[in-house]
Amino acid sequence: MKTKVITLIKAAFLLLIFTGCGHDFLEEEPTDAISEDEVFESYVTAKAALIGTYDQLSSFSFGGLYNPIMADIMGEDVMVNSVNNWNWWIEVYQMNLLPNYVYINNPWWNGYKLIYDTNKIINNSVYIPDATSDEINDLVGQARVLRAYTMLKLAQMYSSAYAKDPQTPSILLPTGDEEDIYTGFKRERLSDVYDYIEGDLTAAANQLKENDDKGFFDRRAANALLARLYLDKGEWALARDHAKLAYEGLTLMDVNEMYSGFSTRNSETIYTIAYTQEDNNTYLTLPSFYWPVGGYSSMRANKDFVAEFSTADYRKGFFLKIDDIDPDRFLIVKFGHNNSVGNAERICIRASEMLLIEAECEAELENYTQAQDALYKIQRRSNPGVIKSTATGQELIDQVLLERRKELFGEGFRWQDIKRRQLPFHRDGDHWVKLSFGPQDADYYKMTFPIPQSEIDANDMLENSDQNVGY
Amino acid sequence: MGVNYTYAQSVKVEGHVNDENGLPLPGVTIVVEGTSQGSITDFDGYYEMSIPNGEAKLVFSYVGMQTLTVAVNSRSVVDVVLRENVEALESVMVVAYGTTTKEAYTGAAAVIDSDIIEDRPVSSMEKALQGTTPGLMVSSASGQPGAGSTIRIRGIGSLSAGSAPLFVLDGIPMSGSISDINPNDIDSVTVLKDAAASSLYGSRAANGVILITTKQGKTGTTKISLSGQLGVSERISKGYDLMNSTQFYEHSWMGLYNEALLRGETVNEAQVYAQNQVKAIVGYNPFGVDNPLDNNGKLIPGTQVLTNTNWRDEIYKNGIIQTYNLNVSGGSDLTKVFMSLGYFNDSGTTIGSDFSRVTNKINVSHKINDFLNAGINSHLSYSKTNAPPAGTGGANPVRSAEVINAASPVYDGAGNYEWGNTAIFDFNPVGLAALDKYIYKTKRAVVNAYLDVDISPSFKFRTSGGIDNSLDDGLNYYNPDHGNGAGVNGRSSASRSDNLAWNISNILTYSRKGDLSYLEVLAGQEALGADYSVLSAGVTEFSIPGKPDLVWGSKPEQPGSLTSSWTMVSYLTQVKYDYDNRLYLSSSARVDGSSRFGANNKYGLFYSFGAGWNISKERWMPELSWLNNAKLRASYGTSGNNSIGNYASLPLYGSGANYGGYPGITPIQLENADLSWEKIQSYNLGLELRLFSKFDATFEFYSRNSDGLLFSRPLSAGTGIGSILTNLAEMENSGIEASFKYNLINNDNFYSSIGLNISTNTNKILNLTTDQIVSGTKLLEEGSSIYQFYMREWAGVNPNNGEPMWFVNADSDDREENTLPASAFEDPLGSGKQVTSNYTDAERKRLGTSLPKVFGGLNYDLSYKNFALNFYFYYSLGGNVYNNDYAANMHDGVQTGSNLALDAAKAWTPNNRYTDVPRYVINNQDQSNQMSSRFIEDASFVRLKNINFSYQFPQKLCKTMKLNSLKAFVSAENILTFTSFKGFDPEVAINGTTNNYIPGVKTVTMGLKLEL
Repeated sequence: MKTKVITLIKAAFLLLIFTGCGHDFLEEEPTDAISEDEVFESYVTAKAALIGTYDQLSSFSFGGLYNPIMADIMGEDVMVNSVNNWNWWIEVYQMNLLPNYVYINNPWWNGYKLIYDTNKIINNSVYIPDATSDEINDLVGQARVLRAYTMLKLAQMYSSAYAKDPQTPSILLPTGDEEDIYTGFKRERLSDVYDYIEGDLTAAANQLKENDDKGFFDRRAANALLARLYLDKGEWALARDHAKLAYEGLTLMDVNEMYSGFSTRNSETIYTIAYTQEDNNTYLTLPSFYWPVGGYSSMRANKDFVAEFSTADYRKGFFLKIDDIDPDRFLIVKFGHNNSVGNAERICIRASEMLLIEAECEAELENYTQAQDALYKIQRRSNPGVIKSTATGQELIDQVLLERRKELFGEGFRWQDIKRRQLPFHRDGDHWVKLSFGPQDADYYKMTFPIPQSEIDANDMLENSDQNVGY
Repeated sequence: MGVNYTYAQSVKVEGHVNDENGLPLPGVTIVVEGTSQGSITDFDGYYEMSIPNGEAKLVFSYVGMQTLTVAVNSRSVVDVVLRENVEALESVMVVAYGTTTKEAYTGAAAVIDSDIIEDRPVSSMEKALQGTTPGLMVSSASGQPGAGSTIRIRGIGSLSAGSAPLFVLDGIPMSGSISDINPNDIDSVTVLKDAAASSLYGSRAANGVILITTKQGKTGTTKISLSGQLGVSERISKGYDLMNSTQFYEHSWMGLYNEALLRGETVNEAQVYAQNQVKAIVGYNPFGVDNPLDNNGKLIPGTQVLTNTNWRDEIYKNGIIQTYNLNVSGGSDLTKVFMSLGYFNDSGTTIGSDFSRVTNKINVSHKINDFLNAGINSHLSYSKTNAPPAGTGGANPVRSAEVINAASPVYDGAGNYEWGNTAIFDFNPVGLAALDKYIYKTKRAVVNAYLDVDISPSFKFRTSGGIDNSLDDGLNYYNPDHGNGAGVNGRSSASRSDNLAWNISNILTYSRKGDLSYLEVLAGQEALGADYSVLSAGVTEFSIPGKPDLVWGSKPEQPGSLTSSWTMVSYLTQVKYDYDNRLYLSSSARVDGSSRFGANNKYGLFYSFGAGWNISKERWMPELSWLNNAKLRASYGTSGNNSIGNYASLPLYGSGANYGGYPGITPIQLENADLSWEKIQSYNLGLELRLFSKFDATFEFYSRNSDGLLFSRPLSAGTGIGSILTNLAEMENSGIEASFKYNLINNDNFYSSIGLNISTNTNKILNLTTDQIVSGTKLLEEGSSIYQFYMREWAGVNPNNGEPMWFVNADSDDREENTLPASAFEDPLGSGKQVTSNYTDAERKRLGTSLPKVFGGLNYDLSYKNFALNFYFYYSLGGNVYNNDYAANMHDGVQTGSNLALDAAKAWTPNNRYTDVPRYVINNQDQSNQMSSRFIEDASFVRLKNINFSYQFPQKLCKTMKLNSLKAFVSAENILTFTSFKGFDPEVAINGTTNNYIPGVKTVTMGLKLEL
């Protein structure tokens, strides 16, 4: 019996050793992730990667909330309350920013993640075995617009204006072809960055068709972004041409739609972030901060800005004084919730902006009639009785710029409008932090974000001396 | 057969056999020396027998007792007392894959007996280990009942992979938490510290190994013991004072007044502004009148204070701790059984937090025949925890207690919760504790079975298999009306996870004993793996209040499920050789292959060598009466660390990046096919001494070199992910450990001993593939500690304007150029250095580490007759802490509605120019509360960790109560702490930052332990 048992045990021992040793035994793969190789083995997964890139764009720490809200808080027309606000955006509003703040970090890191994701798609889509050339063009074209959109945004935030110095050090320019991830990236000149963006958008405008689903970038969106790019560069004719290509054939929304809360796409939408409340934080949305109740509800309008609207202007109705909520300042009802708190698409590009670009460019090109016409199209929607402007020269340009503030406030334009035109910054009225400086003043550095300290610390090609002036 | 044979001239002898406590010993074998003639004591310890003649000698033997030989000397009554076989108990110790004797052991290891762990009012055994063993660091960041502690053996071995030791329960490596184990089931704990001790565990041994051995049944009468313990706990200290409602109201007024002045308004305008705004800033007017403050912002005398909430009193309470244990132990020569049932309940010191646990243990061993022995050790437990979230979120009640100002009432006039505080609007912690739920439940089964085969006297074989299964269940519910759930009308999220770890091992040992030598060879194989799966779901839109189950919500959220697995296969061997009880040699080797590592690095080899030399037994050593024992040990070996997550080497796209209703994927991880284990080389030199038969001393010198440390290396944002897991760095931990024990008195009635242990650890990064890595409050760089603080250096407050000042430190290497910034000026406080009030112009500086320079324990034992007193101190000296919590209460006006420490009242004013607290300005832009050495504190402390007083009832009394024994005791934990640290508890997270954790607790309990 004893020998029998021992033989049995020996057999079990050997069996275990040999089964344990099998090659597959040490190969494990996760069930909630797939390897990079697999992604570009089929069109379906590559498409899912493109969707994931849009998700990055829609993130609250990028296009969903941070970028648009900060771009207005860094201006003169709106402000954030200092109380009952969980301290959101206070330092941004005070324009008292340090390179380690989340407001500085998040858009940067989120933006570069987006660029990385799009690089993967742009560089690998051509190898997808089962994709048609139309499908490849669509993937690559959209990824190019996404990349360009992100780079333009980052360049506007983290480098001083093109109008000031095209040679200024700007952002990093990773292309996905780097051999060594450890080398780091240097800050490229702003003009090179803009050239790169221009290349992407021009290619995309050729690759893409019009898409009825405005939750995705299409040819129209590529042209709209080209218009923005040329506007920054002061290339007025090009900006005008692409603005026209972008809005051609679209109908402006009417006043009723304008009052519906900017929470869903409409006839003039060129691109909107297709927000879904199921998988996003509803509190970290534009309406959560802007709408006077339900969310953080802490955005207010400067009384001087409200005074700029004529009483006949429907848009004046966007501002309310309700003592029970805030006895001191104007509430803003432009951005509403769609049935539940924070549930709203965020319209990023719309035809009205393109018309205003057209107006500004025509004015700069001294085509005053065209400029007045374009301006009038925007003004009469909100004020049918308005008299068409007869101004020319700088006066007309100023009128267009004022109209941009009135039409686009809260949509994330004011910061860059001040920068690209190198306007003086003057915050007064009932602001609780008042500031005043011009483009020649040292304080103008505040109009540019610092490079995040985390980037300088991690990037071998950057030193603290590469930091933006003033920080 | 001779037993029954009676000699004609035989003599009769009788007597009682007792133990040292005077308890009768049943079942003692008595044999006449040189014969097979004998007897056994009865239940009362009584025996009678016939012996050949009055000159015979009797041999008394009993398991666990010293065998005693007594000459009868013609007596007719021979009473004896058997002493516990202390020698035998001490010298056998549980070590990796077997046991050894303390004498023969070549590694550095410490054994902690059950008496240290038993009867302590702690939920988990590691808390009882603090201060007991040199080199073992135990720190508890949170006082959440049932929460585990951080354990480090000989310093921090890793940068980012786990630094926790491997726990092995009755020979089976555990994969879950040890807080499911009932400390009262533990017989002994062995801490394996150096490579000779732990290297046999290969790629998991880098951070040391802790072997837990549970109690086993013993041959003899069945013992039933029952113990109960009841105690009260409260938070460990009062903490620094916070402002009351009047102080906060006045201070906020001053902040507004200063804000207006800085804006350029006149004194008059500023006063009006402050009067108008102060209520909005504070949130409530806590007084009986509309304008309670005068023109200088001071309370008008006689004003009635209606609200003055002490939020700490609302959040913290006295906790009740109860433990009950029932043990049954017994067995025959063939079968031995140990069974226990345990219940532990801690009602918690913080609102909404508690813990309860039921445990059951059954250990059985059975001798099948003369060469087969089988056994099973099983552990079952069920625990339930209510644990509100920690951290900086609004729902953390601990943070709420610190930041909600005292002017904010808990209830409105009608007795409903009041939600309008301005610090954490809509998060009344008292209301949330009643309405929200954070329930976690764990069911755990650890079962292992083994079969021992004695193939021949030299060959032995053991095969064993173990399963460690945890089922975790979590439910978070946010009520629909307030706090986190208000925006979605209530939210419930539930998750269930199942972690199943398995382990199979087969070990063959060969041993041969020669005249002077002893050889033991071990060879074996082991395979193990773990599968973790989780299922989670959530729902919003609740209409019926107070019903947290998912069925009550109407709007489902994205559910999730995933599985994660890893496997390992290993071969191991060990050779031990002893020569003449003088020289001991050992060596081991192990090969591990793991699924966790990169394709290019699947297998690793780990090995060790150890030697012990008992100098006092050398023939050339003179016989010194004062030197009882001297032993020198040395070891060298390697081990590894594989705690990096299961798929860390693969380039991955993760799910869930959905957009616009379409499912999307997104890159989450960069590839590293070279990813490998961390390799650790350890050196150890030990000296054991026993002097004058009463003084024991042990010294250990160690050095642990960790190479290829796994670290998530920060990368430029341009690489997309921003970090990659690499085998980046090299680090050294070195130190000295010493422990001393001195028996002051040891006689029949009196026993007294004192023990002290001291540990030092120096942690040094030897090599980084990148120059410097700044992460949070720390700087990683070559030549420095892993927990080196790096931030701007606080220079105090400018007496001329109340602005904060930092030392410029232009010569620091934070910025390359050494030029002074334009904002620099000479320190008006007279340090002679350059300072600046512009935060960004100051350079960051290295400012010490969070690790203590020296730590250890001091214990004292005293017993007199039936009384026993034991206490021990734990000390930790020289560590720094960055006190985030205190910083939040010294915000200088940045967090307008948040409460302030009373220290903030010392803020600069033109009349109070020399102070360390800057001016108080609402929406302060001075950056004064930004990270700087202003909030670094010395966290040295000495703590009376435990004091225990017990009384063993006299035998007679027990007998009348039909008990075998009865013991009553009082045990107090953490009741005294000596420190200059400002927070509740200087024992914070090991990296030296506070984060609003539930403070530690002090506990006093009383207990009874009876044996049937």
